[in-house]
Formats: sequence, C-alpha cells, structure tokens
Amino acid sequence: MNRHFTGRNLALAAALLVTASGARLAAADDLPKAEAILDKFIDATGGKAAYQKHHNEMATGSMAVPANGISGSLTVYHAEPDKSYTEINIEGVGKIMDGTDGKVAWSLSAIQGPHVKEGVEKADALRSARFNAEVNWRDLYKQAQTTGLESVDGKDCYKVVLTPNEGNPVTHYYDKQSSLLMKTTATLKNPLGEFPVESMLSDYRKEGEILVPHKVSQKAAGQEYSITIDTVKYNVEIPKDRFDVPDEVKALLNKK
Amino acid sequence: MLLRVGALTLVAACAGFADGKDTLTPAARQLNADSFEYVWKTVRDKHWDPKLGGLDWQAVHDELRAKLDKSTTMEEARQTMRAMLERLKQTHFGIVAAEAYEELDSPGSREGNPGIDVRILAGQAVVTSVDADSPAAARGVKPGWQIVRVDGKELAPALGRIQESFAKSTLLDLIQSRAVTSRLAGAAGTPVTVDFVNGAGEPVALKLDRARPRGVMARLGHLPPMYFWAESRALRPDIGYVRFDIFFEPEQLMKTVQAALQSCRECRGFVIDLRGNPGGIGGLAMGLAGWFTDRQGLQLGNMYLRDNTVKFAVFPRPEPFRGPLAILVDGCSASTSEIFAGGLKDLDRARIFGTRTAGAALPSVFERLPNGDGFQYAIANYISQGGKPLEGIGVIPDEEVKLGRQALLAGQDPVVDAAVSWILKQKN
Repeated sequence: MNRHFTGRNLALAAALLVTASGARLAAADDLPKAEAILDKFIDATGGKAAYQKHHNEMATGSMAVPANGISGSLTVYHAEPDKSYTEINIEGVGKIMDGTDGKVAWSLSAIQGPHVKEGVEKADALRSARFNAEVNWRDLYKQAQTTGLESVDGKDCYKVVLTPNEGNPVTHYYDKQSSLLMKTTATLKNPLGEFPVESMLSDYRKEGEILVPHKVSQKAAGQEYSITIDTVKYNVEIPKDRFDVPDEVKALLNKK
Repeated sequence: MLLRVGALTLVAACAGFADGKDTLTPAARQLNADSFEYVWKTVRDKHWDPKLGGLDWQAVHDELRAKLDKSTTMEEARQTMRAMLERLKQTHFGIVAAEAYEELDSPGSREGNPGIDVRILAGQAVVTSVDADSPAAARGVKPGWQIVRVDGKELAPALGRIQESFAKSTLLDLIQSRAVTSRLAGAAGTPVTVDFVNGAGEPVALKLDRARPRGVMARLGHLPPMYFWAESRALRPDIGYVRFDIFFEPEQLMKTVQAALQSCRECRGFVIDLRGNPGGIGGLAMGLAGWFTDRQGLQLGNMYLRDNTVKFAVFPRPEPFRGPLAILVDGCSASTSEIFAGGLKDLDRARIFGTRTAGAALPSVFERLPNGDGFQYAIANYISQGGKPLEGIGVIPDEEVKLGRQALLAGQDPVVDAAVSWILKQKN
C-alpha cells in the first residue's frame, strides 16, 4: 500500500487538524542526507526491485472516527502511472468516492455532490495517486531535506521535509533504527480551507515482498480518524472502467 | 468531506426518559465520575474558546464534582453533568440518557406519537399538521385544532412557565413545541388522551394510539437514531416544493431534491420548507446549496474551531436550479437548517419566509460516555456569510409570516402562500 496514498484516504474523510511538534534539531552535518534516508526506507520495506514488480494494487479495510461511533468500509484501487480510486461506505452517510485518471482529480459523495479538484488540491491528488511513489519520489519533489531528529512514540526519527513541485511541503519521520516511516505531517488545501494533518503509521506487515503499514491514525480538528487495512493485493485484474471519471463529474467538466 | 454533525440537542434530549430512580452501585458511581471528568476535560480541551468566555471552569468542576459524588441516582448524576454544561450558556452541549439509545430500538420505546405536529400560536398549542395515515388523521384531527390537555394534564401552566423563562430567547418556540410533542410521545401502540378544541370551538376528547413515526430510522455514529422522511410536490404546475424532517440520509435526501428539480426545470420558482427541521449532518447544507447555484467559490459561512477555520463551501451541481428560491423557516428550524437558510440569504440567493429560527447553530459531535450516556458538545463557533453568528440570533426572515389558527382551520398555509406570491412576482 502506498504510504502517501494511505494518508490521502483519511484526508478524504474529514476536515483535518494538526498537532504541531517541535523538532529536536541536530547539526545538519550530523544528519544523513534525505536521499539516503528515503533510499533506506525503500530497502527496509522490500527494496526497489520488489516495488517495481507491482503495476497496480487493490486494498480493502475500514475507516472510523471511533469517538463519534462512525465507521465504514474502505476499498482502494491504484495503478500505474498515477491512477487511483477510493470508495468509503459509511452507514448513515453513504458512498464517498475520490479518484483520478491521471488527468482529472475528483471527489463525489451524496453529501457534497461532484467536485473537480483544481490547483494545489489537484496537484496533491495527482501526487498521491502516483503509483510506487516511494521509489519515484524524485519525480514528485523538487527538494528533500533532513531537518532534524525527533522522537515519535519514543523512537528517534529523522525528520525529512519534502517540497513538491506544486503545493505545500510534506514532512516525513523515519525511524532511525528500522528506517520505517512512522509519521507524516502536511497541510492539505481544499475548498473547505487549509488543514494541517498528522498521520501515524503502524502495524507494518509484509504483503508479498513489501512491508506495508496496516494502521494509520490521523488527528483532525480535535478528532482522531483511523484506517485499518485488511488486505492488499498486487497486479490484480481491475475493471476497465475503474478509473473512469464518473458521469456526474463529467457533467461538471462539460460546463467549464 | 465534512463529517461533522449539526446538532440535535433538544431533539435528542426529548428522546431520553430514564426514570433514574435506581440506587447507584459503586461501579456505577465510578463510571459517572469518569464520565464527569471526561465531559469537563473535553470542554476544557476542545471548546473553540480556550477561555470559555471568562468562565472559571476549574471552579465549576470543583463545585459540581462534589455534588456528583453525593448523587444517589443515575438521574441526579446526569443532572449534575447537565448543570456543568449549562454554565456555558450555549446550545449543543448536552447529555443524552443511555436509555434514549436503547429505548428507540425496543418495543417499549417512547418513539411513538399520534402523528401530530404542534406549534404554539398566540400562547395556544395548535395542531399545524397531521400525518396522512396516522392515528390522528384516522380520528379526524385537523390542523388548527387547539390542544388543551394531554392525558388529563393542562398544557397552559407548563407553556406559561416556559414563556416566562425563555421570553427573550430565540429558543422559545422550539422548547414550547417540544414540551407538547414530548407529552404526546410514548411507546408505539400505547394510547394518549388528548383534549382538543376543534374548528367550531367545541371540546373534543380523543384517545389516540401512538404509532411509529413517519419515515425510516436513520443512524449515524453515536447520534440517537432518528426518523427521516423527505417529500416533494408541485405547489402549482410551475412551482416546485421539497420538505424533509431532518438533514440525514444524504443519498435519499439528495435523490428527492434531484428528482424534484428534474421535474421542475422550467419552473418559475422553488420552495424548500425547513419549518420544524432541527438540523442534522452539517455538510449537507453545502451539498444542498449546490443544487441552487452554478457560481463557484461561494460559501455559506465559516466554522471556527480552536485551531482551524472550516469554510462551508458550496459545491455547485452540474445542472442547478437558477430561478427564484424561497426557504420557509420557523422557530423550530435549527442548526443545519439555519446554516443553509442563513447562508443562502446572505448570498442573496434565497428569500426567507416565516418566523425567526431557533438560533441554535453550533457545529457539534456526539460521543458515548463511560456510563453509557450520550455526550453532545459543540466544537466550533459558526459565523454565517453575512458576518453574524447564528447562535442566539437565528435567521431573521426577509418576510415575516406567522401561522394563525384560523388560517390553518381554513386549510391555508400563509407562509407557503407568501412564498408563492413572491415567486410569481419575479421576472422569468
């Protein structure tokens, strides 16, 4: 499961909140280069070759806002080079969909109706949809910089700030010991405003040859959201029209 | 997507009727203490105003925690927690008895009613609508009939006390009408005796059965289950009309609106009737507004959390209705209804008819406490696009139109009539 994409799923589901954290700064010379940290992460989770064997994936699981008793099922499709489709079904809310065919980024739900993403929101969506983003990060970010060492859940983590070609920087926290990605922070922009996001990744387990986090908890607007991944399958038969832009979204596009 | 839930405190509060007379066990006391602390800390940590308007929250804790520890019944403990929240003097903070969740699922619940809606008009409880196929309809109850007594108890004294207490509050209409409907409510299948005065001024005493409410039971997280219905019709061949009881069941609600609009493409105008609608899922205000504008970048207002501001953005639909839009409201229109009506009024997209809304529009969420009770708390302040809060002010109609008993008896709805009259005066 693409780490970037996992974070996007939660962003879809709620207005988001951040918890700011002060990094324990170390002298820049003491810190490894961001490039090395990101490469180590790829190695720790299975290696570049393992990632490159995959051309698409399908994941299922659940999402919840535990404090409010809200929960639902989650299905994610993702394919090369940058196609994605996410569907969340919540009792009392219905189906919430979000996707891109690599050109149009959109969302659709009964509550808000169809929405075509533009600007930074679209750039974020397309970046999140990039398949195997881990091994292709150089295409997505113009700069990667190690800015400090910070404790995350009691583990020393390298703090790496990734600056995309368009949009807000994303900060990743990699465990110094295991090299795994433990936490991300970012600011998402959409028509509802700008929302800082903090995601905690855990329960890394092997899916095929790749270590995948099966739990993501996100702090958002004073609430906590959680995603649990149950299954991940690679190189699956995906319906031909899975990444097609829905008719309701097309109707919006046709008006423009 | 915004999963925030617009508030339903007063509705939910009316749904809970624990007798609360059982003596507390030590375990129950501990659960109440844990619940009390949770409520107190949640307000301290999550209220959008960290200073709580200058309230000494620690002092409130210390005073009421001592009282809680002396509670001998569940209801006493619950009332103490409610008293704590009342110190905030804001809507959308409340404790819902655990029984409200259980009873609504059981045959012994209080969800049943005879199918009557009520407003207080000129100090009298008056039937404003009778559900088709309801027990009240079967016995011939008509809009405009006055309700004098329920199960032998006079309504006038209770209504008078509420009038005195809430004379200056925008919540007066809502609380008075709830006081009557809660007396009419009870377990489905049980009778309630109602003394009416009919249209001819004659007393009519009827024993009415209570039935399950109209619509389908809707659920969302820890919110107590609610019944949802939506209807549409043509007021005239060229004027569409939609009414629904609550902002729930997004798919069903939006399908109803979409179908109504599709059959009304060439209509001269459209009416959305939010009278009596207490709100629901806050995000639905944004989605619903999108059916009535094609302008990008609009918003109904802003929700101010402690650390963030959320814009209530309008998401235009592909084929919105662009003609005259009238929204009907009254003192029982609350929360998401107010966000929707107030926002479209501020955007000059709709004309509002009826009476001032409840002024109860703080975005809130529901959680379950360790003792099983529901806990509703507001997580944000809300300012409508015109720059004013809705809380405590409400939406003031462009045309104030009051219901009257005589008009109801004559089968008229002066609020609908005013909206239709305005639509017909607009240029095509």
